[in-house]
Amino acid sequence: MLSEIGLITLLLSFVAAVYAVAVAAYGGRVHSERLILSARNAALSTFPLLLVATGALLIALMTQQYQNSYVWSVSDPNTPPFYRFTALWGSQKGSLLFWCFLMSAFAAGALVINWRSHRRLMPYVIAYSMATLAFFVGLVLFYENPFERWWLVGGEAVRTVLIPDGAVAPSAARLAETANGLNPLLRHFGMIIHPPMLYLGFVGFVIPFAFAMAALASGDLSTNWIKATRRWTLIAWLFLSLGLLLGGRWAYDVLGWGGYWGWDPVENAAFLPWLIGTAFLHSVMIQEKRGMLKVWNMFLVLGTFSAVIFGTFATRSGLIDSVHSFARSEIGFPMFFFWAAVTVISVGLLLWRWNRGELKDDHPFVNILSRESLFVLNNVVFVLLFVAIFWGSFGAPVISEIVMNENITLGRDYFLQVTPPLFVALYILMGIAPLSAWGATSLRRLGRSLIVPLVLAAVFVAFIVIVGHTAEPAALFGYGIVSLAGFVALYETYRGVVARQRSLGENPLRALAALFTRSRRRYGGYVVHLGITVIGIGVIGSTVFQQETQRTLAVGDSLEFGGYTMRYDGFTNAIADDGRRMEIADITLLRDGRELARLRPRHDIYPTMPMTIAGAYSTLENDFYVLLVGWEANNANSATFKVYINPLINLVWWGGLILILGTLIGTWPTETVPAHLREAAPARSRARASA
Amino acid sequence: MKPILIRAALLILILTAAAGLAGAQDTTRRTVTADEVNAIAKQMYCPVCENIPLDVCGTAACAQWRDEIRIQLESGSTPDEIIRDFVARYGDRVVGTPQDPTLRALSLVTPWIAAGLVVALALYLLLRWWRQRPALATAAGATQPADDDYRARLERDLQARR
Amino acid sequence: MTDLDLSFEPENTASKPRRGLSLGSIVLIAGILLTAAVFGIALARQNQTQPQSGPAPDFTLTTLDGDTIRLSDLRGKVVVINFWASWCGPCRVEAPALQKVYERYRDRGVEFLGVAWTDTERGARAFIAEFNQTYPNGLDLGTKLAELYRIQGVPETFIVNQNGQIVQFIMQPITEQSLSAILDRVLANGA
Repeated sequence: MLSEIGLITLLLSFVAAVYAVAVAAYGGRVHSERLILSARNAALSTFPLLLVATGALLIALMTQQYQNSYVWSVSDPNTPPFYRFTALWGSQKGSLLFWCFLMSAFAAGALVINWRSHRRLMPYVIAYSMATLAFFVGLVLFYENPFERWWLVGGEAVRTVLIPDGAVAPSAARLAETANGLNPLLRHFGMIIHPPMLYLGFVGFVIPFAFAMAALASGDLSTNWIKATRRWTLIAWLFLSLGLLLGGRWAYDVLGWGGYWGWDPVENAAFLPWLIGTAFLHSVMIQEKRGMLKVWNMFLVLGTFSAVIFGTFATRSGLIDSVHSFARSEIGFPMFFFWAAVTVISVGLLLWRWNRGELKDDHPFVNILSRESLFVLNNVVFVLLFVAIFWGSFGAPVISEIVMNENITLGRDYFLQVTPPLFVALYILMGIAPLSAWGATSLRRLGRSLIVPLVLAAVFVAFIVIVGHTAEPAALFGYGIVSLAGFVALYETYRGVVARQRSLGENPLRALAALFTRSRRRYGGYVVHLGITVIGIGVIGSTVFQQETQRTLAVGDSLEFGGYTMRYDGFTNAIADDGRRMEIADITLLRDGRELARLRPRHDIYPTMPMTIAGAYSTLENDFYVLLVGWEANNANSATFKVYINPLINLVWWGGLILILGTLIGTWPTETVPAHLREAAPARSRARASA
Repeated sequence: MKPILIRAALLILILTAAAGLAGAQDTTRRTVTADEVNAIAKQMYCPVCENIPLDVCGTAACAQWRDEIRIQLESGSTPDEIIRDFVARYGDRVVGTPQDPTLRALSLVTPWIAAGLVVALALYLLLRWWRQRPALATAAGATQPADDDYRARLERDLQARR
Repeated sequence: MTDLDLSFEPENTASKPRRGLSLGSIVLIAGILLTAAVFGIALARQNQTQPQSGPAPDFTLTTLDGDTIRLSDLRGKVVVINFWASWCGPCRVEAPALQKVYERYRDRGVEFLGVAWTDTERGARAFIAEFNQTYPNGLDLGTKLAELYRIQGVPETFIVNQNGQIVQFIMQPITEQSLSAILDRVLANGA
């Protein structure tokens, strides 16, 4: 029953999406209001339809309908309800359906919110977003259908979407007995929220893409499209950032290698759209303020979406092997062609408009030293990072395999050689650009506003030297550059507060609150910069100063490492609720003879694979992170541990929270125009409201 | 550098070399710590673990490889020799950056060439952009100060009560 | 904000429409097409699976005893190519069966070639000694053979007939019974 409901709603949503594409395109061409409304309704209907389809699969999962082969493959009777829920995105088929559902939600949101304000673009927005949705729903329907069921046909077990002739349902007991259970790697709290966030980040970029394509197709290339696009991009960017951070946290907790970012192709595939998206969020300001860089912005929006589709294709097709990726599957070629088509059509359309001279800039480039040029530099660096990471993850391995018939791996080595100079350049720009002015700025003025942040950064570096007992020049340089960007953000905010205090006589807190409500985007942006700074400091600390050692300890023995003492107390075996066997080492962590914590690093042994779960003790200064890597077979009188000291690693997570906060501040809709502007300068109010 | 410093440096060099030689002589089969093994394994990837460095990969194949590293270290091989041996046996995919000169160049030089091209293109566009300036300078001149009203106001406010 | 009129004419801001595409545009489009082609080829190659029929890719294997054996030199014999590794559990399960079948068929025109994949020489030698394997075994240096036969793991076994054609691919540990049955069939067909 559930399968029928799922199949029918899935099919209907496919039909609705295809209908919406055709009718919106035709309606837009013949200017038929009626047809466009009909297309809109069809597009809106995909959301409830996919909600029902996803709900049907979810209910099947929760109620253990093992005849459904997806349920059978990702859960078993031992799976706790919580992981039954997360199994919805535990494997290719379910996660693709979930992905479609999220995409339809975004499309519906954009159609409802922007319907009146961007009416001219809407037929095309419908057409392009629904074309993308139709493609993905089609994949689910025809290639990766999660509503396949097990049937017995003449004694043979088969899984099919439609019920074969003479089929008998297999016995429920037999199905439950043979069910697979969820991939152990996915049994982590981060998995509840990491994939949905990442998917939201990915599918969210369909809206900016649809708006950009709509602008190109309709020829309405005013700055109109960019207003809606910026906010949607920011929302998608927020989810993508969150997804990346949670992914890092998941890797740190579950993969058991002492780090959060392994430069794995799949991680990079999610990072690439983030890079171009971030570049766009910066350069879009130039277009809003100065009407410049129109072609480039369009290119970035289209490029972000192309990178999203490429990332999806690369991770879901088996093009690259990785712990994060889905198994090799049939959808490789459809996804590949979709990616190629999206890229070629969108860039082709852009070039066509450009060559017709329809994307001329309103302002010329005035001065080499201006905010525009610094933003252009920032974009250049983002593009370079994109190129370097893309090359390392996909370009070099693929070309070396095709041309030289040699498999190569580009690992941490490569990325730590190529990317740091670029990140340094980014942080330097992050420190300077906010101080520069549009149009032109003078070196003297720039230098003057840099004095205080520079002094603060120097003090910070000195503090690191004294407290951290370190003189690693590269790291100190890094700390200086990174902290400068943060101090600029803080100091600019401070100056804003002081200015208000001086001119309006407000108290500091009120002034701060007023700053944030009046110029959300500016100060939200500073908060994001501060978050990126904190992340940067955490990354330098945990990368440059990570210490590790591996030692075999007998019961009762201690290990001194990084100022901690770790004592091996004994070994426990246990069976968890879900049937996995756990081998647990009991450890006491001490510092200066005082007990800090009891840690229990362990091995989870699932029927399919073992997992190494770390024990960690976190402080702001560092994480003591211990893995159980081996033990004596019978009595575990001695066990081997791998210990990491990860300095400042928690700043990565805290910085992430700050970044999210800042993005929320910057994205939150502002409907009201500040009072003094309403009276004083009505003509400028529009520009100010979005400043 | 002063001669005396050079002489001192040379002396230290010779002493350390001699110490190293002596050390190598009496420990042809020395005991090797897990940390030494991991330091080498960190730079390698085994084809069984996808993109997970050898030092942290938990499969039996990787355990065997680490054991092989330990045995080679015990018999006196240097880390470089061990890595070269593994590359010869299992191909360039076992290291984080290929050892083969062509592949290494392809991997490491290409991004910088690409970077050079991007920068050159950006410079070219910037220059072309800038050249258009005189034609429209009059129009831009009028709007320029107004564009930065926020910053101007901020500075004005900051000056206000000084 | 209340732009409700529905005029879809593109704004005619075009100053002087150029004919054709500029050089930059052509380079960009060509670059995109080239990138797409490269990834398309990569995907096609990645999607290839182990050959199940057709001519067996030729190779030269240097055995652990120092001999070199070329597959094409074994024309006229049925060849069992077995990929294994000493760290692999299922390979340990099938090892005795392989040796037993080898002893039974070696005089009937059947040759066995063991290929140790991502194995250390020490590990491979210990494994061969443990299971008393007497057929030629060699290391897959540079994992070249594995790429040639596109194996996904071990154990995997290919049966090549007298004419150098792959007639069977087995992706699980072999058993005495199943392998004997296949060899009987191939020998009968060749006779």
